[in-house]
This record gives sequence, structure tokens and C-alpha cells, in this order.
Amino acid sequence: MSKSTTVAQPSRLSVIWHKWRFHINVLLLLIPLGFMPRYFADAALFRGDSGLGEREIGEIQVGPWSLRLAELRDEAPRSDGPAGYLKGFNAALCDACIEPVKATYLRIGKPRSLRAAGSIFFGTPYRMGIQLPVPEKTKADADLWITMEGWDGSLHQASIPLSQASPATVAWLNKQGAKP
Amino acid sequence: MSKKSRSKLWFLVHSWLALPIWFFVLIVCVTGTLAVVSQEIVWLANPQMRASAPSDDAQRLSYDQILAEIKKAEPRTQVQSINRPDESHFALDVDVSYPDGRSLTVYVNPYTGVIQGTAPNFNFKAFTRALHGWWLVPFTNGFSWGWYLVSFLGLPMLASLVTGLVVYKRFWKGFFRPTLRFNHGARIFWGDFHRLSGIWSIWFIAVISITGTWFLIQALLSDNQISISSEPIIPAMSREAVPISSDGAPPPRISLDRAIEIARSKIPGLEASFISLPGNAYAHLDIGGRGWYPLMYQTATLNPYSGEVAASRLLSDRTSLEFVTESMRPLHTGDFGGLWIKLIWFFFGLLLSMMVLSGLLIWTKRTALATANALKREHKKQRVKAQPALRGEPSEVSP
Repeated sequence: MSKSTTVAQPSRLSVIWHKWRFHINVLLLLIPLGFMPRYFADAALFRGDSGLGEREIGEIQVGPWSLRLAELRDEAPRSDGPAGYLKGFNAALCDACIEPVKATYLRIGKPRSLRAAGSIFFGTPYRMGIQLPVPEKTKADADLWITMEGWDGSLHQASIPLSQASPATVAWLNKQGAKP
Repeated sequence: MSKKSRSKLWFLVHSWLALPIWFFVLIVCVTGTLAVVSQEIVWLANPQMRASAPSDDAQRLSYDQILAEIKKAEPRTQVQSINRPDESHFALDVDVSYPDGRSLTVYVNPYTGVIQGTAPNFNFKAFTRALHGWWLVPFTNGFSWGWYLVSFLGLPMLASLVTGLVVYKRFWKGFFRPTLRFNHGARIFWGDFHRLSGIWSIWFIAVISITGTWFLIQALLSDNQISISSEPIIPAMSREAVPISSDGAPPPRISLDRAIEIARSKIPGLEASFISLPGNAYAHLDIGGRGWYPLMYQTATLNPYSGEVAASRLLSDRTSLEFVTESMRPLHTGDFGGLWIKLIWFFFGLLLSMMVLSGLLIWTKRTALATANALKREHKKQRVKAQPALRGEPSEVSP
């Protein structure tokens, strides 16, 4: 309720303002409208309608087995508060490895033993995901190591350069390095 | 300050709380109202989601039989979880993963095990909840700012309730002498409507605004890494807990029915309305359902190979603070007692949405009236001088 006392003729602008000031908030609807394409793109991504992830890395041979790896999002790791930065990857096992593979792990840098194989994938062999911790001091030329463990106890490993696995992460690391 | 000008001030506060953001509040109320019955709306729109008992004495299949039927129909499809909705006329929601990498929810008939169809591409339930809950603003780092935007509304809503009752003198009389005058023009009607629905919605507005404010507090706590949870983090199974298989094939897991039997023998009263299958070889099997207190769930976490109960989260494990905070969400959504509770929440949600609209209508009608009167007076007196452009609320403060 405005007590604005208008002397003589109120200006056009102030008439418009008085008439519409309580309706400006209709513009807040632009926020969900603007985010809607992204909402539906994300929904499709999580349903797997738009592929394994935003950026496919390709088929990687790990000993007798292989898996398809993808970046969940084509972007730098996201901060997860005190847990540090996490980078999402998705993977799908080859048809022949669904039965014999017990677990699949991902780690930045070569694991010294199975106990330190890194983070373990969750999901089904058709589509499994991981949130991989990426320390801020990771070297940009580091490798991403994949460890696959068989039900029979066998272990197979393979690695790809981080720059191949996630160029966005390497770009982010290079920028981090520039910080004092 | 005189009594009259004090109530005028309260009235002013009451109007200003929602007026500048009325449309935002309205859309949040309307989407929230829809979200309450979103599952039922999807049920109405999708026949494949429906599953009524074929006869009065029809028995539901066990979870193992459901798994077997799915395996028979689609041998390569992998089941991730099975959820039995509260209302018995719903099919089971089964989350599955297909060889082509898609993860979907399929509707499975609980009596026959037939896969009746997949959830539609457009998830109406998730969409209305996302629109209502965080204005579709994505979560990228902690809680989305849309979440803060919406949950902040709990505070002006609570203040609206309090100031509304202060302004509406002796509001309790409205319960005994309900007034809704139809023949005195729109302004009187909407005023009556606003007051009448207001007093009957006191409890609902209090529930929604307090639980809404809790969502704000929840986000603030979480984004500042403050935890009030007493729930222990269950570590993955150790290597020793997972059997070794000499022939290279996965070792057998206990059946779901056996798992439920074990969990229920250890935890009397445990309901098994959802089952979440292990996410990898070292992950547990989760079984859960509502306890005697319908606002919270109880879960048991089992080793899927040995059936050993690794952990459980029961009503009795919660601190009294958690009883309050964990009740907030079901109280907000009305999802704790089946269809009737949801319909009550839906009705009062509609009423609350109408209160935003009626509040606006009262304001615009009065303002328009006051302006017209002022102009009339001006014409009559033919005087050019300083004039209050907007003057109002002659009798609004008392009903």
C-alpha cells in the first residue's frame, strides 16, 4: 500500500509502475522456463536415452575383457564439499565379461595392490557409474587406471591418459596449477 | 499508537508479505498441490500402471516369483529394485537396466508378474516435484539456489498466517458463524472466502510453512556440512565376506524371500515394501518398508550371499530430533497414509492456492475502487491539489 502522494499529474512511468509493480514477479517464471531444456536433457542422460554419458571415451581393452567408458558430463570435476572434487564416469561391460567379472575399479595413478584399486563401479553391467575423487594436485599427465577383478580371483589392468579420459578435467587441473 | 492504526499496520504487513511475489507463490502452491497427487495423475493417464486384484482372494506373487517372471519374459533385463506402492491398485515399480544401457522403471503386475509397460518418457511426478521443489534450477554444488528460493517462502507464509489471524479479530467466531456472501459483489465475496478458507486452513498453512522452513534449514545445514544424523555409514562388504568362486561363475545369492524371512525374524514388524538389489559384488541387499509410525521407513541391510544382517535402521534407532526432522517431508507432501490423506492435502493445497488469488483480488478490487472514488471526488470538487492517489481498506480490518 503506497502512500505516494502525487502532486499534479503523475508521470506516465509512475502510472505504469503503480499499475504493474505487483505483477513484475511473473517474470520469475522465466527461471524454470530457462532451465527446462537442461532439465529434460539431464533426465534423458540419467535414463540412458542419450547414451552412456555426455562424452564417450570408447572401448578399452583390459586383459581378456573390455569395457566402454564415458564421462557422465563433459565438464571439470564438481566440488562435493569436504570430500573434495568428484568426477563422474559411466561404464558398460562387454557381453562376454558380464558373467566372469566380479568388480571394476577406477583410480588416478597406478594402484599398488587390489586393495588400493580405487573406487568401485555401482550399477549393472549394462550401465554402471562412479564418482571418482580427483585430488586438486593431480598432475595433468596422470593416467586413469582401470582394474577388473574376476570371480576366479584373476586381476587385469589397463590405463589411459587422463587427457584422453577427460580433457575437461585436465584443463581444470592446468588452471588449478596456475593458482599459487 | 492507537489500536486502529496498529491493526492497520498489521494489515499492511499481511498484504505486503505475498503481494509483491503473488504469482511466484501461486505457482509454487499450484505445483505443490499437483505434486501431492502426481502419482495418482500418472495412474489415471497410464493404464499399464494399474493392477487391481483379479479376485478377492487373489494372492500377490512373492518377490522371487516376480524376478522369475521378469527373467522369463526378458532374460537379459537386469532388475535393480522393486517397489510396491502404498495403494493396492498400483502395479509394482521395478527399476531395470537394459542391455542397450537404458535404465527405466517398468510396471509389473503383482498378481501375474506380467511386465505391463514402461514408465512414460515424460516423468510427470518427477517434473512437478522438481518444479515445485527447486524451480528446476539444477543441483551443481550442494543445494540448488532454486531450492533456497522456494523453501524461503515458508517464512513469509508463516508470517502471513500469524498476521492474518492478528488482523482478523476474533477469528474463532468464524468457525461458528461461517460467512460467505455471494450477493454483495466480488470484493465482499473474495474477502469472505479469504477469511473463511483461512481459518479452516490454519493447521494446513502451519504444517506447510513450518515444514517448508525446515527444507530451508535442511539445505543450510547440508551446505555448511552440519550433520544431525545418527545413521551410521555402512561400509562395503569386506573381501572375506564375499565368497570365492573356483569356476569363475558368480556364487549364488540367497533368494529375496529368504532374505525377507531372515530380516523379519531378526526385526519383528519389518515391512518389505521395497527391495534394493546389490549394486555390485561387494554391496548389500536392502529391504525396507514403513514401520508402525507411518511417516518413517525401517530398513535392513543384508549380506546377499550369507544372509547375515549387516545393519538395520529402525524407528527405535532414531533420536527424538530425527523423529521430528524426518517427519517433515511426509507431513509436507501428505504421503504417509494412503489416498485419503493425499486427497485432503490436495484439497487444502487448492484452497491455499485460491487464498493467494483471493488475496490479490481483494487488493486489486479495493485499490481500483479507492482510485475510482478518489477520481470521482476530484471531479466533483473540481479542485487541483495534492491528492492521495491510493487510499484504502476502509472496513477490511474487521470482518
